[in-house]
Amino acid sequence: MKENVILSFEDLDIRFSLRGQVLNAIRGVSLDVYRGESLAIVGESGSGKSVFTKSAIGLLDANGTIAGGHIWYNDKDLVTFRTEKEWLTIRGKEIAMVMQDPMTSLNPLIPVGDQILEAVVLHQGLRGAAAKRAAVEALRAVGIQEPERRYKQYPHEFSGGMRQRVVIAIAIACRPKILICDEPTTALDVTIQAQILDLIKELQQKLELTTIYITHDLGVVANVADRIAVMYAGDFVEVGRCEEVFYDPRHPYTWALLSSLPQLGVKGENLYSIRGTPPNLFYAVKGDAFAPRNPWALKIDYLKRPPYFQVSETHKARTWLLDPRAPKVDPPEHIRQLREKGGGRYA
Amino acid sequence: MAKYILKRVLRAFITLFFIITILFILLQHMPIEGYFENFDKVSPAEIQVKLTSLGLTDPLPKQLARFYKDLFHGDLGTSNIYRMGVDNLTIIAEKVPVSMRIGLISLALSLLMGFALGIWMAYSTRTTFKIGERLGTLLIVIVQAIPSAVYYILIQFMGSQYLKMPMLFKEDNPISYILPIFSLSIGSAAYYAMWLRRYMVDEANRDYVKLARAKGVADSTISRRHVFRNAVIPMVQYIPGSILGTLVGSLYVESLYSIPGMGGLLVTAIKRHDNTLIRALVVIFAVISILGLLFGDILMAIVDPRISLVKKEGSR
Repeated sequence: MKENVILSFEDLDIRFSLRGQVLNAIRGVSLDVYRGESLAIVGESGSGKSVFTKSAIGLLDANGTIAGGHIWYNDKDLVTFRTEKEWLTIRGKEIAMVMQDPMTSLNPLIPVGDQILEAVVLHQGLRGAAAKRAAVEALRAVGIQEPERRYKQYPHEFSGGMRQRVVIAIAIACRPKILICDEPTTALDVTIQAQILDLIKELQQKLELTTIYITHDLGVVANVADRIAVMYAGDFVEVGRCEEVFYDPRHPYTWALLSSLPQLGVKGENLYSIRGTPPNLFYAVKGDAFAPRNPWALKIDYLKRPPYFQVSETHKARTWLLDPRAPKVDPPEHIRQLREKGGGRYA
Repeated sequence: MAKYILKRVLRAFITLFFIITILFILLQHMPIEGYFENFDKVSPAEIQVKLTSLGLTDPLPKQLARFYKDLFHGDLGTSNIYRMGVDNLTIIAEKVPVSMRIGLISLALSLLMGFALGIWMAYSTRTTFKIGERLGTLLIVIVQAIPSAVYYILIQFMGSQYLKMPMLFKEDNPISYILPIFSLSIGSAAYYAMWLRRYMVDEANRDYVKLARAKGVADSTISRRHVFRNAVIPMVQYIPGSILGTLVGSLYVESLYSIPGMGGLLVTAIKRHDNTLIRALVVIFAVISILGLLFGDILMAIVDPRISLVKKEGSR
């Protein structure tokens, strides 16, 4: 494993058995997560981004199995983990998680302080008054006023944004190295979203965390991510630094995704939408999974899965359009504008 | 809280007033034949004497007023047929301890069995063969589908035939308690198991359980600290009612084992037109159910922080 890589997915293949059929949710995916970076995994609902990250803490649903590949963390292959005991050395301790809906992710019948305390006792090795102090500190660290008083309150006495802060307090009380934020702001209203993202960013720097965001909101990504990995139908179609993906996207799916951003739309015009539906992963995907919805699809896109083509040292995309033999295509209008915005620096 | 309880108690009195008044009026309209063992052979004069002595010839409001006056002084009247001249409370007080003793033991047993089975079932939903789930469901279906009278007799028959247990209840023989207690508890045990399993499976799929797993809490701890605790709370509401309900006894089991409890008393009293005894029993039973509900609600407010019996300032 490379020095600066903290978590490495290698040819990961995840399958679910559903109603007697096998669904290939993650199709041979590799990704390196660098120490201290902030990585965003974007993709539409059902693309597999949650499943992909959940596999790293052993929280796949019972009908899901890792059918192949490796997940390397500290020279340990997490894929070989079978027992709960093994996973307990990772969950919380090394990789913690903030979930989507703060309204339901806290136990309604336990004071929030005690729910943080649970993590403190497990991962900081503190007991009694010292543990309690640490839990109060965690509340303070996520910007909750009067933490001593709030400690004893129940989740229903907190607003949505405040509850998400508590969830984050729980996550950081675990003292993890990696923080997975699974749509951390989706359930919150817009004004609160920015606060929560700022909080996570601040904590990331202070605690030297590696953060992985899962989101379908590119606006969130632009604010927080160093790198972006675009997922489509259980595979990363494009991975690159934030500016590279935003200002010089190469995969037609990324083009489509960016074009459908409301921020890029023109007032009065219909918002761009991607035609068709994602492929049915109950059947084996042939070629590029996006080909049937891709107006620029080449013949080979239907036949052979494209490899990654390096665009730069940090930027790669899985599309035959990058093959030297491919015809030159012009990306859609919106994307050309983005390139100009980026000053052509990334093109 | 005190204000809330006071309000509930006042409302309970209104409820009681309606129950008792309606019952009183209904009883007055029963045919008078019921007050005599052999009505055909009694002369009209004798009938008149008896009805007057029972106070039945007075106008209804007067009777009602008299009844309420006595009730206010804690006097539930004397039995005039079932055990002539004996204070109703004395009759009841003799029977309550027997019913209650058996009732409380079987309640404890049914909670124990029901919770154990419910936990096992909930746990086994996550295993491959779901053995606990299947066995538990089988038991619940049997207990619910077969009329209790049938399996009561079966238990009595099997217990006395094969286990050589006494067929009838004897107060000083602890072994004779086993069969009736088992009969009484098996039905509610199945019921508790069914609900506990259901609530536990519900809770186990909640997001906060996923978060607890993600923060590294062991599954066994999650089951105990989060799932079980939260699943029991909706069931807590019915515990006070069940405890008080043991006072009432069980008609069928008590008659099957000839237990001198409360079970058959009301039916006997009604059959024999012992109006004062009926009234006394109904008053007591009504108080029991009203208190059961009240205590259940108070207990819920104590164990569930989301429930507040007092309206908060500025809350919805």
